Amino acid sequence: MSPGEPLHQAAGDPLLRTGSDPLLQTGDEPLLRVTGLVKHFPIDRGVMFRRNVGAVHAVDGIDFDVYAGETFGIVGESGSGKSTTARLIARLLDPSAGEVRFDGQVITALRGAALKQLRRELQMIFQDPYSSLNPRKTIGSIIAEPLAIHHIEPGRAARKRAVQELMDTVGLNPEHYNRYPHEFSGGQRQRIGIARALALRPKLLIADEPVSALDVSIQAQVLNLLRGLQREMGLTLVLISHDLSVVRHMCDRVAVMRAGKIVELADNEALYSSPSHPYTKELLAAVPGARWDRRTITG
Amino acid sequence: MIATGDPSVPTDDPLLRVEDLRVSFSTEDGAVKALDGISYELERGRTLGIVGESGSGKTVAALSVLGLTRADGALLSGRISFAGRDLLTLSEGELRAIRGNQIAMVFQDPLSSLHPQYRVGAQIVEAIRAHQSLTKAKARAHAIELLGLVDIPDPARRVDAYPHELSGGQRQRVMIAMALANDPELLIADEPTTALDVTVQAQILALLARLQRERAMALVLVTHDLGVVAEMADDIAVMYAGEIVEQAPAERIFTAPEHPYTWGLLRSIPTLDGPREQELTPIPGSPSSPLAPPSGCRFHPRCPYAQPEHARTEPALLPVPGQPDHRVACLLAPEERRRLWRELA
Repeated sequence: MSPGEPLHQAAGDPLLRTGSDPLLQTGDEPLLRVTGLVKHFPIDRGVMFRRNVGAVHAVDGIDFDVYAGETFGIVGESGSGKSTTARLIARLLDPSAGEVRFDGQVITALRGAALKQLRRELQMIFQDPYSSLNPRKTIGSIIAEPLAIHHIEPGRAARKRAVQELMDTVGLNPEHYNRYPHEFSGGQRQRIGIARALALRPKLLIADEPVSALDVSIQAQVLNLLRGLQREMGLTLVLISHDLSVVRHMCDRVAVMRAGKIVELADNEALYSSPSHPYTKELLAAVPGARWDRRTITG
Repeated sequence: MIATGDPSVPTDDPLLRVEDLRVSFSTEDGAVKALDGISYELERGRTLGIVGESGSGKTVAALSVLGLTRADGALLSGRISFAGRDLLTLSEGELRAIRGNQIAMVFQDPLSSLHPQYRVGAQIVEAIRAHQSLTKAKARAHAIELLGLVDIPDPARRVDAYPHELSGGQRQRVMIAMALANDPELLIADEPTTALDVTVQAQILALLARLQRERAMALVLVTHDLGVVAEMADDIAVMYAGEIVEQAPAERIFTAPEHPYTWGLLRSIPTLDGPREQELTPIPGSPSSPLAPPSGCRFHPRCPYAQPEHARTEPALLPVPGQPDHRVACLLAPEERRRLWRELA
């Protein structure tokens, strides 16, 4: 364990998140506990007589814990099941088997009012800032929508003030309250998505490929924003990405997924300096530009 | 040969020389200057990486070589000399004889570049027979040979596969096989691995590097990914807002970059061995709109070192003192740039 490891002192006892062995951390209840999570998508064939011919095992029995205040990374290639995992945790999909426990409560079977209550505490931001914002709504009303749904800050003036504070927090000009999504660049739209997700002051934020649709010069802006928000607000962050460098930069612990399974779960430092699973090694070796990394060190 | 303003014919011509290429498209919102006077050269057997963000003009810089930006309302000027001929002055028919033959192209998305209803073998055969008078049987044998060359397993069987039966990586291999069908001297690859997973990307890059070496092809690699050019390129051109802002041997781009935009790119990207605790340093603002590019130095609104006069003066792409291969378009004094980079690095 490197002593220089940054800890998020804001929430809870930092010692609980520093051990490289997750078993050592069970002294405290994790914020999120995923047990035996499975998602199968049935494959149907036939036009008139649809019959089930099998299933895609998108997520095939995974277990992990996420502790309050940490950034937990899930990295994998396309088809590894990482986005399905995100959607299962966010209850945008229902699992085929297994259990997700959030804040001590099993959330996999929540319905109605209880599910709505969960949404206040668990929010998600998506990859594509173009398709995840309604083009016909002003960004003020997009960001205010969660507040309206949950009857928070009733009264126009109070809600507008709350929205403008959020816009300021994520680095948007609060005066652009009445503009439409098309007037914003990709990076700014991702900020709008983040402001919307933060509106309810969630405990857990799930970010599914939050920067992969953005230009390289803009990615750093959004990554820094997420990291800053996480520290200031004591957020717990689950970051899903195919980009090993982004995950390394952002996350305290990392799960590597392949074909629906977690093949390796380790502390950031351990995973990147001494990966133990052959697939992790393969992934790390495949990142282009290792030549350049060496150059910057020697140069 | 670095100075490009000089039209006198040099003794040994590079395979490709682009001089003061300007491309603009008329759109509903006005003229878009996609390229505003770029110049570059490429020797046989070398790889040029063109790096830039979306809208920087990197793709137009590559497509124009193939005449693929000729369209209604497009204005092209400058010179593109390929093996001694100016491609801009050729007719569409003359260009077609070169395209897919001496100059070939690999695109980003192999699924939309392949015809879904034809077997991949038939598509390669078509590419071969467009330029060589071979019998169908001989062309098919050549197609199988090409599929083997790009490491498609069991090529004699896979030649009859449809694109949907192949994985993304295999489709890109088919595209590369097709591009190699007529033994091109120049291969242009536009984001060839962007749609692929990282492990597949590594395989495709290794394949491109091997083929380029074996066949002494010239390769233009267009990408947004500095890691990819670090892996592949001999020389790198960094593009911003329709212009080349820095051009140098790859190693110098990473060890002694001269342009503040290049610094910004290098410092904003997380790496596998950089310091994790450090914040990334983003480039402030957003890429400029090609409809209304900023005056003076195009990068000045985002440049932390911009002076008021940089909004008025346009920088020229000039050699760095003592480094004839390294050109930069920056209004800061060379010693000032060197001092700033030392502070940053």
